[in-house]
Amino acid sequence: MFSLFYGLWKYVFSKTEFHVLILGIDKAGKTTLLEKLKSLYSNLEGLPPDRIVPTVGLNIGRIEVSNTKLVFWDLGGQPGLRSIWEKYYEEAHAVIYVIDAACPSRFEDSKSALEKALRHEDLQGAPLLILANKQDLAEAVSAEELARYLDLKKLDERVYMFEAVSAYDGMGIKEGLEWLVDAMERSKRTQMLRARAGVTGPASA
Amino acid sequence: MGILFTKMFSSLFGNKEARILVLGLDNAGKTTILYRLQMGEVVSTIPTIGFNVETVQYNNIKFQVWDLGGQTSIRPYWRCYFPNTQAIIYVVDSSDTDRLVIAKDEFHAILEEEELRGAVVLIFANKQDLPGALDDAAVTEALELHKIKNRQWAIFKTSAIKGEGLFEGLDWLSNTLKSGGG
Repeated sequence: MFSLFYGLWKYVFSKTEFHVLILGIDKAGKTTLLEKLKSLYSNLEGLPPDRIVPTVGLNIGRIEVSNTKLVFWDLGGQPGLRSIWEKYYEEAHAVIYVIDAACPSRFEDSKSALEKALRHEDLQGAPLLILANKQDLAEAVSAEELARYLDLKKLDERVYMFEAVSAYDGMGIKEGLEWLVDAMERSKRTQMLRARAGVTGPASA
Repeated sequence: MGILFTKMFSSLFGNKEARILVLGLDNAGKTTILYRLQMGEVVSTIPTIGFNVETVQYNNIKFQVWDLGGQTSIRPYWRCYFPNTQAIIYVVDSSDTDRLVIAKDEFHAILEEEELRGAVVLIFANKQDLPGALDDAAVTEALELHKIKNRQWAIFKTSAIKGEGLFEGLDWLSNTLKSGGG
């Protein structure tokens, strides 16, 4: 009896927790973004950009946006480390893909790493937020221009959006994240992950 | 005046203290790393039975570093040192490919420990100076680091003998501990 009520209570009041993967090639600004997210949405003071070193492993950030708990997994983007990305796909609700919009010489590398990730079946249906980062730099291209350059095929059935941001000064981040939270709440993949985790309803507790 | 300024400075950027455990199989290089960090030189070591403990001051953090003996018979005693630990440095002999499976099993057993739940994890892929040493990506694979999803981790290629990679690891550790940890 108790467990029934507890299950009901948990069902009604518990906040959903979403896992968001932050991917992108090295020097795209993934960790700077994560630290900015921490300082925008939690009382933690994110690391200042000049203290951030290349990630060789996993950084984690936990924040809350409009009653939704988000857990960010920020993975290192150097070529040798990209092989572990896919180990995190299965449990991810969505992906934020960060691109240095001020560095056209590496667009090709970004594009192929992204396409490879999107082909992976464990990421099926995951909403995708592509960030044209480093808008604080004069030479950065716009989100539209980046989208044109990437010319991603087979995106039609996936929910995605391009957003111009600066992880350095925070521009565009809130808009992008709000879109992503909304997309995750509506996505079939979220239902699928929930079902698998066994939180489909009161009966499951 | 100088004293006042020093006091203000340290209250602003305060010296934090962190308790760090250095773990790993026997002959991974834990003791050599400890003394390389503390004194900046290579000391000749013998297998540690029990522990060595030293304080290392770096980046405004006082690291209390515990180096615990790694032989099979004394690994069960590691757990006595687990409470109040903020970080684990797990040292692997990257050239000892035969024992990487054991290193992996011991590592994941440590991560299961309730008392270490909040600790961040730094892996030193040590002995990079030896021929046949696996690089960071290969050690990541062998240790199955991707199974860690609830805490921050990082891996660094190190050579305790040459003094390479160690302080890069401590940089990561101090940044991570300052920004709130796992």
